[in-house]
Amino acid sequence: MPANILCSISTKGRYLTTLPLAISAVINQTLKPDRLVIFDDNDEPEDMRKEPIYQHLFQILNIKGIEWEWLWADKKGQHYNHQKANKMNFKWVWRVDDDTIPEPNVLDTLYAFTDDNIGAVGGAVLTPPLIFENSNATGKIENIYTEPNIQWGTIHNTTEVDHLHCTFLYRAGICDYNLGLSRVAHREETLFTYGLKQKGFKLLAVPNATTWHLKSPSGGIRDNNIMSLFEHDEQIFQNTLNLKNHTIVVLNNGMGDHIVFKHVLPDIANPIIYSCYPDIVPGKSIKEAIDMFGDIEQFNIYRKMDEWKWTESLENAFRKLYVK
Amino acid sequence: MILISPYAKILPNGTVNPKNYPFWSELLAHISVPVVQIGVDGEQQLTQDFRKNLSLTDLAKLVNACTTWISCDSFFQHFCWDLGKPGIVLWGQSDPLIFGHPENINLLKDRTYLFHNQFLSWDLIPLRTDCFVEPAVVVAALQKFL
Repeated sequence: MPANILCSISTKGRYLTTLPLAISAVINQTLKPDRLVIFDDNDEPEDMRKEPIYQHLFQILNIKGIEWEWLWADKKGQHYNHQKANKMNFKWVWRVDDDTIPEPNVLDTLYAFTDDNIGAVGGAVLTPPLIFENSNATGKIENIYTEPNIQWGTIHNTTEVDHLHCTFLYRAGICDYNLGLSRVAHREETLFTYGLKQKGFKLLAVPNATTWHLKSPSGGIRDNNIMSLFEHDEQIFQNTLNLKNHTIVVLNNGMGDHIVFKHVLPDIANPIIYSCYPDIVPGKSIKEAIDMFGDIEQFNIYRKMDEWKWTESLENAFRKLYVK
Repeated sequence: MILISPYAKILPNGTVNPKNYPFWSELLAHISVPVVQIGVDGEQQLTQDFRKNLSLTDLAKLVNACTTWISCDSFFQHFCWDLGKPGIVLWGQSDPLIFGHPENINLLKDRTYLFHNQFLSWDLIPLRTDCFVEPAVVVAALQKFL
């Protein structure tokens, strides 16, 4: 059975610096992805087919049988691009940053750990010079402010973690990226992978899958180094973290939907509810939900049913969304 | 006494909701028991007794007091289901297997009339009247409750 893996790169400001290195590294994987998609998020996009280096890279992709496409992105931040990749109907998405070089065995190693219980797998993401080699990081969400990320140092043993960052292989179509984050998309991958964990899937940090991070002073989210945007995103992250032991329910829909939802509510663990019709389902306001989480589209039951090509009852759709 | 809830919520763009049953006048002409219409301001009055803008508490009292009810696919069918009062739902292009409840009599003319995407906003779905059952079918179903 084919692996069914999409490799996704979101790029900005790195046409002629690290992006070709990242593409080259994807080409040289011992396990090839089925397709490479590049989301061009540059403020002034250019056609890279005119550049000899890209001409060669595109030809090699063709020769190696890796489908590829170059998409003009919406300039809303990389989380929008990753969300598009997330919905491109692949079983797995390997997200690779445009300033990283995964070693040739990375995808093969990450994929070897996948099974029905796995939500995402990540390896080490090493930034020279190495300074986090003996951190003993746990990867637990409650330690996120007190320890370096487990992926910042060499990973010696397979470790179940609560979140991953930067680059990892993940099960597509389960969780949404939070599109309420600002263009800098601070914490986007932490929120996303933690969401997979909350859906009941395991996250693994695994050894022998090293990606080199060529941390650059320009390009990527650092182009918008506006403190208020980071603070905005950090607040959304903290709000999510503060409610980590609850099931967040947002009912931004009709009265009938609220009535149907009422029958699912007793089966939801520790719910925190935001409701349009508090006389039917008591809860806080929808505005409060937007203020707390930025984006509430992930709770849109109609969009979910559309994505799931749903044919069962509305009640069962609510169960799928909220009952673990 | 039976209740009727003829209209689904008015669409944001002001157009007629495609979930509305188009043959109410003909249907009501064939019903001999007292009928109370429930709804909100702005909806066409079809019966002498039209009770508008009821609170959920008052609406529940009315539902509990009625013999049965007839409704299009709207909030009302869920409300009655929640109260344990079965009735008749008149379906057109929305799918009773998704949005309906098996405790009710769900009158769907044919599944070929269902809109291909059930999850779009209703102002994106074309209005058509040929997708609903004839009044005689509704009257026959009503006899099961009377």
